[in-house]
Amino acid sequence: MSVFNIIYQYKEAFLGGLLVTLKLVGIVWILGLSFGILIGVLASKFSKTLGIIFLSISFLITSIPVLVFLFWVHYPLQVLLKVSIDPFYSAIVVLSLVNIFSVSQIVKTAIFDFPKQYIFAAKVCGLSKSKTFFSIQFPLITRQIIPSLLPLQIIMLHSTLFASLISVEEIFRVVQRINSVIYKPIELYTALAVFFLIISLPVNLLAYWLKLKYTRDISEN
Amino acid sequence: MIEAKGIIKRFGNIQALDTVNVTIKKGGITLVLGPSGSGKTTLVKSLSLLDCPDSGSINIDDLIFTFPTNKKNWDFKSIWPKLTVVFQQHFLWPHLTLKENLLLPLQKKKFQDNNKHFNRIIESFNMTGFIDRYPNQVSLGQRQRAALARAVLLNPEYLFLDEITSALDVEQTSILIDLLFELRTSNIGILIVTHLIHFAQVILEKNENNSFIFLDEGKVVESGKIVEFKNPHSVRLNKYLSVL
Repeated sequence: MSVFNIIYQYKEAFLGGLLVTLKLVGIVWILGLSFGILIGVLASKFSKTLGIIFLSISFLITSIPVLVFLFWVHYPLQVLLKVSIDPFYSAIVVLSLVNIFSVSQIVKTAIFDFPKQYIFAAKVCGLSKSKTFFSIQFPLITRQIIPSLLPLQIIMLHSTLFASLISVEEIFRVVQRINSVIYKPIELYTALAVFFLIISLPVNLLAYWLKLKYTRDISEN
Repeated sequence: MIEAKGIIKRFGNIQALDTVNVTIKKGGITLVLGPSGSGKTTLVKSLSLLDCPDSGSINIDDLIFTFPTNKKNWDFKSIWPKLTVVFQQHFLWPHLTLKENLLLPLQKKKFQDNNKHFNRIIESFNMTGFIDRYPNQVSLGQRQRAALARAVLLNPEYLFLDEITSALDVEQTSILIDLLFELRTSNIGILIVTHLIHFAQVILEKNENNSFIFLDEGKVVESGKIVEFKNPHSVRLNKYLSVL
């Protein structure tokens, strides 16, 4: 039985798992990028108040392994709070928090490290604040953070595999279940690897290219 | 005229500027000399109101700024680009070509009116061969020329130049001196920060009205014109000039 035959035979299960994975990572990406950028901007603007609070939370969250954090939120926390939450939502909460605070640190650092001389040059050239932001700060900071943000989003995609361990029916768990029935690990796990490769490789290459192109632009002036 | 009196600037316990007085007249060149770390760049930032002093007053064409004060009440926008600065580094925006760097501060309409002026500046700064390149694709000397051209295009009344000769060779420096004297005749007040003694001497000798201040550890230890420069009273300037 070839890989394509297996995929065709179990297409509904595969598609179901694929959809759960894509839905999970889609939500984690959207929440992580939107709130992460917002928190990063706020942390850099109010560095002595909000910045310290967000930095502390970020240290706390990123110091705990994702798997431990996921299990803690899904089991002990729910027992403590006497609630029962769908594992899909537990995974969203944990992965989104990790993504939000990782993104916020990247954004905050890029804003902090932005050379003040560029803003001074804009001021003495008579540029307005909005023109300085849209023509100088925004494009330069965006170019600085994208090469770091893209690999992080790939890590978040890979981290969705942990959700299988709290019984989320994502692609990895589906593959495991099919494998337990037909026992074709080489074909199944190769197909899974190809799926992740198709998504991850272009994004990683794009990040690498952007890093080569744009970080050089800033450092050489 | 720009007249700064009693300028004091501290960074924590470090006294970067200590009661500095300086005058920049329209049509004149004022040199700020001194060794590294003497407070020259801090003085430029203070005088251009980019980093306001802790104490003192700055009078720019009868617009008086007194420190310390609540600077929110002041309209600094009216100062720039009437007063503009060319910095030692990070002076061009790296994501824009040199041409875009020069055009960004100009309003579109204003640029159309001044197209001839733009082309004349590009030619006089000998930039036609590399105007479409990015800052990281040209030499530091070419970048400094572009930054100076951008400042001149803004038709400033006061032009501050912070160590812009640092990457220029002898020929380029000579061209720059000629350009500065051409600007001076356009009634622009120029302040030049430099640690190059020979460059300073050439500027002072070209016109006896050009003046200098010599900074050491944030204090003005000597000031005057070419006569004082050649016969300094202070031990510190004597020692500094002795390397010539």
